[in-house]
Amino acid sequence: MARVRFPAGAYQNKMTEENKQATGEIKTKGFKFNYDKHYKILLLIPVLLLIISLVYLGFFYYNNKNFIHRDVSLSGGTSITINGEINQELLESGLKGKFPDVSFTKLEDISSRKEIALIVESSAPSEELKSEIESILGYELTEENSSTEFTGAVLSHGFYRQLVTALIISFVLMSVVIFILFRTFIPSIAVIFAVFADIMIPLAVIDFFGIKLSAAGIAAFLMLIGYSVDTDILLTSRALRSKEETLNKRIFRAFKTGILMTLTALAAILPAFFLVTGLPDSFRQIFLILALGLSADILNTWLTNAGIIKWYCEKKGIN
Amino acid sequence: MKLGVRIWILIIVLFLALLSIAPWKTFDSGILIKSVEINSSAFDQGLRQGQIIKSIDGKKVDTIGDFSEIIGEKNFSSNVKTIIATDQGEFILFSDATPEITVSELPKSNLKTGLDLSGGSRAFVKAKDKDLSSSEISDLISVVSNRLNVYGIADIKISPISDSPVGGNNFMLVEIAGATPQDLENLIAQQGKFEAKIDNATVFIGGERDIASVCRGDQTCARVERPQKIQGGYAAKFSFEITLSADAAKKHAEITGNLSINSSNPQYLSGTLDLYVDDNLQSSLLISKDLKGRVTTQVAVSGSGTGITEEEAVNAAEDEMHKLQTILITGSLPYKLEIVKLDTISPNLGKEFTKNIIILGIIVFIIISLVLFVKYRKIKITLSVIMTMFSEAFITLGIAALISWNLDAPSIAGIIAGMGTGVNDQIVIIDESVSNKQISMKERIKKALFIIFGAFFTIIVAMLPLFWAGAGLLKGFALTTIIGITVGVLITRPAFADIIRKTSE
Repeated sequence: MARVRFPAGAYQNKMTEENKQATGEIKTKGFKFNYDKHYKILLLIPVLLLIISLVYLGFFYYNNKNFIHRDVSLSGGTSITINGEINQELLESGLKGKFPDVSFTKLEDISSRKEIALIVESSAPSEELKSEIESILGYELTEENSSTEFTGAVLSHGFYRQLVTALIISFVLMSVVIFILFRTFIPSIAVIFAVFADIMIPLAVIDFFGIKLSAAGIAAFLMLIGYSVDTDILLTSRALRSKEETLNKRIFRAFKTGILMTLTALAAILPAFFLVTGLPDSFRQIFLILALGLSADILNTWLTNAGIIKWYCEKKGIN
Repeated sequence: MKLGVRIWILIIVLFLALLSIAPWKTFDSGILIKSVEINSSAFDQGLRQGQIIKSIDGKKVDTIGDFSEIIGEKNFSSNVKTIIATDQGEFILFSDATPEITVSELPKSNLKTGLDLSGGSRAFVKAKDKDLSSSEISDLISVVSNRLNVYGIADIKISPISDSPVGGNNFMLVEIAGATPQDLENLIAQQGKFEAKIDNATVFIGGERDIASVCRGDQTCARVERPQKIQGGYAAKFSFEITLSADAAKKHAEITGNLSINSSNPQYLSGTLDLYVDDNLQSSLLISKDLKGRVTTQVAVSGSGTGITEEEAVNAAEDEMHKLQTILITGSLPYKLEIVKLDTISPNLGKEFTKNIIILGIIVFIIISLVLFVKYRKIKITLSVIMTMFSEAFITLGIAALISWNLDAPSIAGIIAGMGTGVNDQIVIIDESVSNKQISMKERIKKALFIIFGAFFTIIVAMLPLFWAGAGLLKGFALTTIIGITVGVLITRPAFADIIRKTSE
């Protein structure tokens, strides 16, 4: 029976921990003390980060007439994946003259670290790019040794517009669900604001590093809306509803649960992302964006959202 | 310990998922018939697509290699007997040519992978300068699928798609699994308007109205001649006979009746029979003087192919002949078409991707388990989280197999992301259940479920727009995520909550 009961044991552990806090463990106390006094200032850190991101995105838009760098699936053009170890320098010097916008990505095998393919992208039509590569490499590109993806300009612009519309619809629907869940204005707005920041900050980071977004990348932002919101729901529901402990304890407990959730996800995604480079580009981008978004979410949830909800609860006397 | 209803439901659903995926198909032997040429001897004897070949002439067939070896060793000269044993009985063929069937390895389970992982090609096609209504698209689809079938491409899927739920652009999506035919672009999008004219008067056009039959695959009436050396390579001539319908033959008689004898070449008539494909002159044939005014139904169509080597020239001529035969049989497409997206994915890279994705999945699994074990220090909690995570992924795959969903890279990313939310929710359940003993366990689990359902609905609504945006290319991502989290909240997480409750009571 003792074995069956172990979560009760977990509970015991937890209680002793809480007792420690109550009896004045310095570290925890210090945290609480600081938080009580300075949470309104802490709240400003992510807000500042968001403002910097938005300003950067504004400049970016001014310079590029768009909010992102789009890859060929969203701007039109050709992507040719050549299997095997390919001499990138040779191709680069040979293609740059005729296709100034050409870019390269290497794919590596997970275990042997051997290069398994090279992706060549350009806005040129597939036949032109293909025949040029064939003459540089000196062999024919067939479906045995290469993959070719071509998207026409009109179609890809359509894709882009639709995906951005989808992102906006997704955001609006998420906001509606949050309002229905909490039925109070300020806590709902705090959650929605955190999700907004979760999208904008990664977007600025991606632009800053010059990463070209694919269709799958934009889909990842939709996923991010759903993915980042659960810690905010956790925080808000605990802050607003459990009236058994002090407000700080509730927020801190939510923080302990939530940070474990986010860190577990990051711990899984980040190493996987850096280890496994031999994956379809769509796959890698989804995980990169989720990782950036979840990192931003730590700040946005536990500094901004938590700050606002604490402020709100104190004002409303929900202690 | 007595198992609760929810745990039983989980076990039953897991079992159903296993049935749906059917991983034991790995052990099935034989190879699958992908297509059988209509009216070939194999077809006449009853061989059909979907049958599984077990042995040929008593020799066991397990791989495509076995099949080509056995067929290759046989010398098909005249009326060679071949005994093909399938899962649906034995068929005996007498034939002087290799059986006209294409085969593939048996699938290892009911799971299907998408083009980006299994290789193949995909084309988005629309009419040039015209928006097609959905009924026009379905007309187009029937012509194109007929054409691809006649050309002999197995494993095609042609479907209408739209890029918006209302008033969007309509496209035809052509998907071909496995090997991509050379010149797919022309095969799909070439309008294929075939016209035979004498002195600019149309004698007959492609399609069943004017063409009664087209000779194919028969050396006596359709052949490629020995290549001739030309400047810079070789040229091979091909010719094949077609049979005109009675009306077209009558027309031929009328028009040739008005022609005079060619003065410089008295063997022939003064006009030529000009063959046009999409308004381009394909070839001009001299008309023998005997044909003047005669109602003839037999006409030979000819052309040529060129290449750097003799073999290339012959192949080019064969391809050209094949294409011409196809458009003569199927007629022209109702619209000029334009390929707006064309992806050809190498099957070789797809294998590499699949391998790496599996390894990635295992790494993610191990890392999550380690993090949870370090946090909770309880084997049992860690194990039940892992079990739940695994169950969710497994049931999602089971549903994908059930609805024959092609799992592409975004779909698999969706499954992994779904597992991530699953873990998050279990952390919520654990933390709620071990906290705050002032309220009952039931109350605490209820609180956890509020958070879980809140997150569930936000993910569902956030992913919904992907079902149509981007012409549904990312539908898989939305679908597997939604299936995964739905399975999570309805089946695995209630069971998990039950396990946690049971073990702590």
